[in-house]
Amino acid sequence: MGHVINPAIFFALWVLGGLGVCLALPRKKASPQVFGALIAGLAGGLLLIAMGFVARDHLPNVYFYIFSLVGLGSALRVITHPRPVYAALYFIMTVLASAGLFLILSAEFMAFALIIVYAGAILITYLFVIMLASQAPEEGETEALASYDTQAREPIAATVVGFLLLAVLTTMMFRGTQQLPVPQAVAPNALLAEMPRKVENVLRNHRLLKDGGTFALSTTDPATITINNPGETAVVLTQDQWPEELAVKNIESLGFNLLRDHPGSIEIAGVILLMAMLGAVVLSRKQVQIDEDAKQDQVRRIAQDSLGGVDPGAGRPPLESSTAGARA
Amino acid sequence: MHELTLAHYLVVSALLFVIGLIGFITRRNLIIMFLCTELMFQSAGLALIAFGRYHLNFTGQTFVIFILTVAAAEAAMGLALIVLLFRRKESLSAEEWSELKG
Repeated sequence: MGHVINPAIFFALWVLGGLGVCLALPRKKASPQVFGALIAGLAGGLLLIAMGFVARDHLPNVYFYIFSLVGLGSALRVITHPRPVYAALYFIMTVLASAGLFLILSAEFMAFALIIVYAGAILITYLFVIMLASQAPEEGETEALASYDTQAREPIAATVVGFLLLAVLTTMMFRGTQQLPVPQAVAPNALLAEMPRKVENVLRNHRLLKDGGTFALSTTDPATITINNPGETAVVLTQDQWPEELAVKNIESLGFNLLRDHPGSIEIAGVILLMAMLGAVVLSRKQVQIDEDAKQDQVRRIAQDSLGGVDPGAGRPPLESSTAGARA
Repeated sequence: MHELTLAHYLVVSALLFVIGLIGFITRRNLIIMFLCTELMFQSAGLALIAFGRYHLNFTGQTFVIFILTVAAAEAAMGLALIVLLFRRKESLSAEEWSELKG
């Protein structure tokens, strides 16, 4: 069954980490939050060292450790910070660290889409709503934190449950990855055959293809491009002679996969976004009731002023109706 | 031989998920609870991209695009509902609604 790392080490680290997280959650009285965060950080550091031992033969990829440490640290701060605005800002840092991890995994488009959509749109909406849904402090008082922010409810039970789940997940993970089949190599340039215009543009930009010339792309191993320019002999370019821009980029492969293999999902995603838009409009219509009352008050005040201070009486219909003229 | 195995990314993803889970159970502020669900979305996305890279398949990244779409729609609707709830009770505490009456 062979384990990558002895699971006993993981369980010990999860116990230490659970203790740290439990201490770090906000409490009613002065609680050792910093101490708890330090313990959790220690557990996290030991975890990364333990994982680094797996890669003993090569230098560990330091960016992975930096991004994951920053991401996990700010995620911890999201759940333990008593102020909601700070929690949202720490979440933005988590999104940035996650985008860094995506970059290491060669998913450049997804990393930038994450930053633009998640950090740039969704979390800004969260910040707006946090500002909308907060109570303004009284005159001369500093802003007080509500009790539902400063106290965590049932921190011990939640931490035990959470880290138990984590222990189970990581054990199964480390058992399972030994048996995953090795992925077969994919022809890296297979998609180039579908993008003839791109190949033509790149070849023209590099002055390899002149006016009136034709080219033929063959993607079977070894991949070659045969260029026939008028008045010249045929030139055969092997892969190491290709211009660099000819390589298939991440976003091109992603686009082909999205539009060719998942067209129905795109339609469904569009419907979901439409439903969200309509739902937001429907939900915000409830404001009409409040505006009606305010309008009646305003009308009554105007009538009061125009009649020289006499209160026209509550429940009087607005001035625009015909009965008002008859009564006045 | 790749020095960073798939398991490294899966462990980070599991840790993020569990941190989001603990935050969701523990905090009582409705907006922070929603933020913790977004954390869990993040971890799922990371696991998907790691697997997509491992199997050299782009379906993982495509699915993360859809997760982003659904997360945006859900965040919009959820926050609109939270604002309406706040107007009723002038409090963001989840425990105010524990009786669901009136």
